[in-house]
Amino acid sequence: MNPLNSVGHREPRVDALLRVTGKAEYTGDVKLPGMLYARLLRSPHPHARIKSIDISKAQALPGVRAILTKDNCDTVWSSGDSLGQRKLFNNPLRFTGEAVAAIAAVNRHVAEEAMSLIQVDYEVLPFVLDVDKAMEEGAPEIHPGGNLSPNNQRRREPQTYTRGNAAKGFTEADRVFESSFTSSHHNNAQLELRTSLAYWEGSKLTVYASTQGIVNCQRDIAKDLKLQEADVRVICHYMGGGFGNKNQSHDFDLFAALLAKEAKAPVKVEFTRKEDFVAVHGRWSSKQQYKIGVKNDGTLTAIQMVAKTGSGAYRKSSCDLSGTEIYQVPNLETSTTPIYTNTAVAANYRAPAYPQGVFGIESAIDDVAYALKIDPLEFRLKNMTRKFRDQTPYTSFGLEDCLRKGADSFGWKQRWKPVAGSGAGPLKRGAGMAMGMFGSALGRSSAVAKVDAKGNYSIHVGVTDCGTAAKTTMGLIAAEELGVPLNKVNVVWGDTDTCPYSVGESGSRTTVQTGDAVIQAVKDLKKKISEQGMPKGTDEVMVMVTTNPAQIQGASRQSFVAHFAEVEVNVETGNVKVTKFTAAHDSGRVVNPLTAESQVQGGSIQGIGMALHEELRYDQRSGQPLNAGYYGARIMTHMDAPQVDVLWVETEDPYGPFGAKTLGEPTIIPTVAAVANAIYNAIGVRMHDLPMTRERVLAALQGVKA
Amino acid sequence: MKSLRNVNPKSFQEAARTLAADPKAMAVGGGSDLLQLLKEHTIAPDTLVNLKAIGGQDKIETHGNTLSIGALATLDSISHHAEVRQKYAVLAEAAGQVATPQIRNAGTIAGNVMQRPWCWYYRNNFPCYKNGGNTCFSITGENDFHAIFGGGPSFIVHPSDTAPALVALGARFKIQGANGTREVAAADFFQPPTVNPAKENSLAAGEVLTEITIPAPAKGTRSTYLKILDREAWTHAVVGVAAVLEMDGAMCKSARVVLSGVAPIPWRVPAVEQILAGQRITEDLLVRAGEKAVEGARPLAKNAYKVPLLRASVKQALRTASGVSA
Amino acid sequence: MKKISRRLFVEGTGAGIVAVAIPLEGQAQSAPAAPTTASNAPKTTIKLTINGQQRSMEVEDRWTLVEVLRDHLQLTGTKIGCDRGECGACTVLVNGKAVYSCSQLAVWMDGRTVQTIEGLAQGTKLDPLQTAFIEHDAPQCGYCTSGQLMAAKALLNSNPKPTREEVRAGMTGNLCRCSNYNHYVEAVMAAAGTLKSGGAA
Repeated sequence: MNPLNSVGHREPRVDALLRVTGKAEYTGDVKLPGMLYARLLRSPHPHARIKSIDISKAQALPGVRAILTKDNCDTVWSSGDSLGQRKLFNNPLRFTGEAVAAIAAVNRHVAEEAMSLIQVDYEVLPFVLDVDKAMEEGAPEIHPGGNLSPNNQRRREPQTYTRGNAAKGFTEADRVFESSFTSSHHNNAQLELRTSLAYWEGSKLTVYASTQGIVNCQRDIAKDLKLQEADVRVICHYMGGGFGNKNQSHDFDLFAALLAKEAKAPVKVEFTRKEDFVAVHGRWSSKQQYKIGVKNDGTLTAIQMVAKTGSGAYRKSSCDLSGTEIYQVPNLETSTTPIYTNTAVAANYRAPAYPQGVFGIESAIDDVAYALKIDPLEFRLKNMTRKFRDQTPYTSFGLEDCLRKGADSFGWKQRWKPVAGSGAGPLKRGAGMAMGMFGSALGRSSAVAKVDAKGNYSIHVGVTDCGTAAKTTMGLIAAEELGVPLNKVNVVWGDTDTCPYSVGESGSRTTVQTGDAVIQAVKDLKKKISEQGMPKGTDEVMVMVTTNPAQIQGASRQSFVAHFAEVEVNVETGNVKVTKFTAAHDSGRVVNPLTAESQVQGGSIQGIGMALHEELRYDQRSGQPLNAGYYGARIMTHMDAPQVDVLWVETEDPYGPFGAKTLGEPTIIPTVAAVANAIYNAIGVRMHDLPMTRERVLAALQGVKA
Repeated sequence: MKSLRNVNPKSFQEAARTLAADPKAMAVGGGSDLLQLLKEHTIAPDTLVNLKAIGGQDKIETHGNTLSIGALATLDSISHHAEVRQKYAVLAEAAGQVATPQIRNAGTIAGNVMQRPWCWYYRNNFPCYKNGGNTCFSITGENDFHAIFGGGPSFIVHPSDTAPALVALGARFKIQGANGTREVAAADFFQPPTVNPAKENSLAAGEVLTEITIPAPAKGTRSTYLKILDREAWTHAVVGVAAVLEMDGAMCKSARVVLSGVAPIPWRVPAVEQILAGQRITEDLLVRAGEKAVEGARPLAKNAYKVPLLRASVKQALRTASGVSA
Repeated sequence: MKKISRRLFVEGTGAGIVAVAIPLEGQAQSAPAAPTTASNAPKTTIKLTINGQQRSMEVEDRWTLVEVLRDHLQLTGTKIGCDRGECGACTVLVNGKAVYSCSQLAVWMDGRTVQTIEGLAQGTKLDPLQTAFIEHDAPQCGYCTSGQLMAAKALLNSNPKPTREEVRAGMTGNLCRCSNYNHYVEAVMAAAGTLKSGGAA
């Protein structure tokens, strides 16, 4: 791969100084004169109809300036569900923590006191927490029409994929294996609390949001408040992590705007951490069943997956499962049915459909490999995808190198035990691995490039940089194309008044899609300079481009990844410790190895937390969440985090900015499965349920269901 | 947070009088846990009696044969105190494994032994015994982290790491009331839920814990605290073992073993102490001690895993404490 | 003891499920006796030193230290991630020790010395920790970074040459959901090396 001048070099973030001095201004740090603070009153019931709300006492409390309830607000929060029907205030209430009232007051203490003065008369309704029970005859109906949640085409049907004929594939198999797996709802848990600050100037609305997509957020707010997009300004200069579903407006943005209008003052809405866990969203749970047909030589003949996923009380995202696409198999049938329950809403969290799906398929495949006495690494090398859906070639393909080089670097041959569970003493070590892929398509985005008379370049992009170093990435891409050092490029971001459309930081698309726009903008700028010369005095030369490349014909563009984990399991205490972790990634050309490494570190360690700890638990009799928050979720700490060895498999890809592919989400895709497979290798007992807690490990060792 | 008044007493006696006079007043030491309970509306005092204001009550000193720890001594200072580390290792280790460095810097020994339960029903304001109600939701609910010994009518586990260490060391607690002082053995300070399911100890309204004293351990005493957490830091003990062994070479002359994470109070296991007393530490003896520790355990539906976990933890803690590589 | 005025057993339908309604925080259904507004909440005047500057200020007794720093002194570099002593984003130094500023009332700070992220650099000269954090790409989203820096500062104050394990243990009260823990640890160790070769302590 040809070396470049800026791209491919380890560069500290362009905004790092502000991040280490406390000067980076996050949404919650913004304070405006006369600003009010708002809090939410929430449903204490998992399912209830509001018979009446009496806000008179709260209104009478000195300092209370505005109260919204279903009685005076029927605004639709269109990105709250895939049907565009969810309101800010719904009746009936469908999960514990659903919004009942929003209160703005002179300070947060008064707002909180006002909450306790609102009297709500509830008719408590029967509720259901479990996806299987939700599909039983006579189960409480959460939305009219039943608990099979409709997709965005309004069809109540499973999401399916079929190629070949699985039944035929199973008859051709020498052996057929069946197994099932479950995963739990767990939370994004970004460190920044959910907050939004809005104010009006006449009919113009400004929202300081915490968003991964300022332009999408602007569009959604305008739509729901029936405003012109040009009358909505969204600002997000720094935001404290996202990990999904921040590429649109949130209810707190709308609450802030509506309360600000009512109170005629700026309003900052603040959610507590418990509200973040219970009332925003987390990754959807799943129950997965696999049937795998295989020849005695290890050739796959058929895979069938039938799954249910838990969408929670509203269907906000796909609730799909991914993972089987990583195998070459002539007969494949998958079916995923998203189901409503009276629990927290599920939505996107870093590679939304992947780590739980990959946990399922990669655990099931692991069992097949052991049963056939084939090294799991060899089994994957034999059966890994070589063409997308066994049909379309890849634009670049680094999966085999991720497997081979990753295994070498990890020391697979020394660490993996041919006989799972072998080894004396209570401390048992084992190694496991898993693989994954993630789309890296081209798509629409925009950028502005300009230069002043002194030769200072500015790149305006509609990114917010949720921690991915997107600003720095855009700066490096521009610097490379301009042939100037990074410090000659000023990146302007995070404000719809000064930045054009960006795809938004979801789907790991910014580097590729906005990066392509930046390259085109720079090319156009250079052309314009060559035609009209450099600007003079206070003039600037400026171009704005929107790139919308046609989808690649006859080829599929994907990133690939293989993760390798070694664990030490204490079979007496059930303690699981990750002792070595290697992450091999093909994300094409790596734009900034320093910050890209951070992405891999973070995704892997988050994935280990998902594997071992995280789950939102409910009291089954009351439908109340029990462990909302960082303590309860057992989020990974410094002491839990193992070393992560990052290995780049840089393939040459003809598309994207200098051949860069997606990275942020692939980093968590195979992690959970790699840990699960390592536990199996260590103890010789298969873990079927996430998270793989101490109690489940001990129960598995004793052959009982935890 | 609800409105409240902070008062700064000049002495424990003044603090006790304030508390006795005002049933809506609460004493506060480090404040870390109390503020969380306040913010969650689990407790609702009108007045906080800030014991830190008294001053000078955070000393760790030796008086003759007795170690004296002021009620306001921080967990951090205890965990780093040279003499505590040397002679009372079980206490230093227990204090050093509480929560996080920040909480140990603020948290006091008195606050730690009187910390309210971390049962998720209590912390989520279910109307349970601890919240003034008359039921324990864990019995038929999500009871993964609840008691396997001594439960009923409440099945909380006592949340303190230092309490079992203090019981194992034979500590005594000095208590100031509005009208005088009293002293109680640590073992008697903690009370099972059969006495009063709303409380974890015998501290009456208007009383404050002022000082903890620990007798010098017998020659040859070795001790340790083993804590099993559900991540590497900042959880309460799933199971904990405070082991204090009086050793003579490989011979255990006497033992005190007190468990955390398994019962509503620090749970002493005399049966384990008895089979260790006067015996040479061997692998076989440790295995039998582990078996003894779980005798009589009555797990609930979801916490049976604590039985093998406790068995292994007791064995490991005794092995570490004895210093014998059995 | 708090009065439990909400007896909350309501017979559910269906399979004889018992529904228990538990308000989320702040939603006690019993009306408080006398609502308190900002005007009549108890207040106290305290004196404290913040980032080397002596201040005297009147605070409501219920205000937390982080609330005072962020809302009343505009020192917004200190963040709130949980407000419950679970994450460490609000870590500041009080009399040189790292504490969670969400878990201290401001009124308890009377007479104490507080150092926040804004007081870490000496003018424009960055603390070696800050330089190392930049070079090692320690912050991703950056929201936990102020707390990580202050925890690291407290650690190096008491242990200038920590091992990797000591850094991990010393900073374990500071969550990073971006999970860039290894870069944080490497940065702290790099800074400790800087200190060893003659930098400021």
